Amino acid sequence: MDNLGNALAFGLGAIGPAFGLAIVGAKTIESMARQPEMAGRLQTTMFIALGMIEAIALLGFVLAFAI
Amino acid sequence: MDQMPVKMEHLLHELSVLPLSEGAGFSLTNYMFWLIIAVVMVLVFFVAASRKVKLVPSGIGNMAEAGVDFVRNSICVDVIGPEGKKYFPFLGTIFFFVLFNNLLGNIPPALPGTGTVGTTFTWAIIVFIVYNAIGIKKLGFFKYIGSLVPKGTPWWLSWLLFLIELISHLLRPFTLGVRLFANMYAGHIMLGVFAAFAGIFIEQLSPASIAIVPLSVVMQIALRVFELLVAVLQAYIFTILTAVYIGGALEAGSH
Repeated sequence: MDNLGNALAFGLGAIGPAFGLAIVGAKTIESMARQPEMAGRLQTTMFIALGMIEAIALLGFVLAFAI
Repeated sequence: MDQMPVKMEHLLHELSVLPLSEGAGFSLTNYMFWLIIAVVMVLVFFVAASRKVKLVPSGIGNMAEAGVDFVRNSICVDVIGPEGKKYFPFLGTIFFFVLFNNLLGNIPPALPGTGTVGTTFTWAIIVFIVYNAIGIKKLGFFKYIGSLVPKGTPWWLSWLLFLIELISHLLRPFTLGVRLFANMYAGHIMLGVFAAFAGIFIEQLSPASIAIVPLSVVMQIALRVFELLVAVLQAYIFTILTAVYIGGALEAGSH
């Protein structure tokens, strides 16, 4: 039970980024289906967005260890 | 299941930074040892690849050429623009350093050199200094600082925008370092946890364990494959974000 706070810190902190990643992924697939010729540039932009959203989840991961 | 805390403690001890030799003062740590091996591998790889440069490369030369081409065309030129080729040496160094370290960490006795805060934050701070230096060199110090606020912002809003932009810039090296470190470290903890589960179930032989152990082994293999993907992806993301920051610093004056 001592580690419950740590687990909650990461678990709750991962909810927001999870939604963010889902939206980014879904919209990229949708855009690629609409305009396949843009797929390369969309993918690059997607990875940039992915990296930025991921950082929020990872801040939660680090905080969970820091608490 | 009461052995799990003991196994977790053992796992975290294995993954912590430990000096290789006893005694106080400067000493090589286990992570630094594998980092040096990865760097030597990068060196050997590219020296071997550039031994015989042919018009139509084959074997190892082909591999190196594909990697270099990928960094130059789909990272430097696509993100920064035509002038991005100038920054290829810097971005290529980052990409291959991170890639080789991440991949080496997937071979069981090895540890990823990038799985420790020291390495990733050092790179993040270098990136922070380099992209700001590029921006300052192009615009001059005061103009570069001024370019944090877009032109045409009303005066009562500009100080707030300046503060927000300043915080977002100062957070960049932090997120860059944490992202790479946490991905490598968390991935290895995850692999270790599944291995520990398999170990516990093998020790307490029962009908249930016979059913669960194969599942755990399959999961272990799947996670290894996933870790390979993460290793390449994180090297790509680290490099592409560096390219985005450099591109942003170059464009700072134009908006």
